[in-house]
Amino acid sequence: MKISFTNKLKYAGLASVIVMLVAWKLLSLYFDSAFILPSPEKTLITTLKLFTDGKFLLTVGSTVLRSLTGFLLSALLGILTGIASGTNPHFDAFLRPVLVVIRSTPVIAIILLALIWLNPGMVPVFIAFLTMFPFICTNVSDGIKSVDNDLVMMARFYRVGNNRIVRELYIPAIMPFIISGASSAMGIGWRAIITGEVLSHPKYGIGTLMHNAQTFLNVDAVIAWTIIAVIISYLFEKAIRWSERKLIKWRASA
Amino acid sequence: MSLEIRNLNKRYGSLEIFRDFSISFIEGTITCILGPSGCGKTTLLNIIGKIIPYESGTMAGFDGKVISYIFQDPRLLPWKNVRENIEFVLDRSMVPEQRKKITDRFIRLVELEDFARYYPSGLSGGMRQRVSIARAFAYPSDIILMDEPLKGLDLKLKLNLIQTFSHLWQEERRTVIFVTHDVDEALLLGNEIVVFSRAPVKVLTRREIGVPVAEREPGSDHFNNLKSDLIGSLG
Repeated sequence: MKISFTNKLKYAGLASVIVMLVAWKLLSLYFDSAFILPSPEKTLITTLKLFTDGKFLLTVGSTVLRSLTGFLLSALLGILTGIASGTNPHFDAFLRPVLVVIRSTPVIAIILLALIWLNPGMVPVFIAFLTMFPFICTNVSDGIKSVDNDLVMMARFYRVGNNRIVRELYIPAIMPFIISGASSAMGIGWRAIITGEVLSHPKYGIGTLMHNAQTFLNVDAVIAWTIIAVIISYLFEKAIRWSERKLIKWRASA
Repeated sequence: MSLEIRNLNKRYGSLEIFRDFSISFIEGTITCILGPSGCGKTTLLNIIGKIIPYESGTMAGFDGKVISYIFQDPRLLPWKNVRENIEFVLDRSMVPEQRKKITDRFIRLVELEDFARYYPSGLSGGMRQRVSIARAFAYPSDIILMDEPLKGLDLKLKLNLIQTFSHLWQEERRTVIFVTHDVDEALLLGNEIVVFSRAPVKVLTRREIGVPVAEREPGSDHFNNLKSDLIGSLG
């Protein structure tokens, strides 16, 4: 019963992909120009060709490395400031306006400034860091605030040391919040990185090649790089979900 | 030996909870404190557990005593299974094998062997409270403080947990101070029953119950007489 239900959902998802492909094909037939909208099959061939390109791994690797660097920086700082603001109301009040400013500043404004301040390779890292940081910080802070005080009292009653209270009580309690923060952060950050690369033109990067392709009206290549970006983003999401299952397995028996 | 509290004074703002209050607890017995809600029963447990300060008074016999707790809610860590939850409170100076041995023993005593790897979310409310009882006994305490651990449970579950508790207590007779507002619970579990008044607290009655827990019969004449007697003194 349950299996057939999930299967039905899978078919619905598959149907959605097929409808999108058919619409794409029909539109490409209508425009009948590779400069406006190449056909799905031509784009697929272009995508496959990209994989065989000698610089493919270097390009994709550079962008992925930038996003991971940005992610690690924002996770590190986000977890530290999140813990501080979750435990100290004064720091929380102090940090709030900073987060509001970061969050409401248009990404493009940050990119334009970063282009002036930093070298091209660092711009996307900086953008990734700034877009991801508020998510992780806020989530960790919310996680700390949500820790059940009764459990902390219990641990103190039983004279469990502070070190173990942090490791075995606080960290597991905020883990789901860190993961959901990481998931939103990656979703937003990844797109911001590619935008940053398009404008800053680092030597290697998906955004750089996407922009080059656009300049020469290689629409199929623009779409091919987009598909690759979507696939990588999907893989990131999968990796986060996988680590969620590993780290929060106690929820499974609920 | 007994534990003595003498001339205790404690107030919350203008509310006087204890004024020159004295009480003693016999070691190795279960003392039930019965009293109206909000009379200061929990405050007394928190003072004994050194969780909250008090203005003045002497506490004799409590020094160096190790205390464990059974709360109204089981307070288990959701990310630790039954075994890990019990082991959580054990001192890290013990070698892991010893911790495991102690944990296993108490899991067995509360009959949760088949659930040792379950997380709290997979257990029933009664089972969770059994874990919390096992945890209190696994902790090498001299005194067990219980704050209405049966509140809100149905009668069948209550009886079941009382049996589990007295089973463990037969194994290890620790000093138990059990706070409740339910006369039946006090009659089923206590060796000594102390009835508290409203704040400022006075001891209204003190009764000893000689009948072993297993032989107590709710509904018997003796039981009913004691019950109406205690309800009478509660006012």
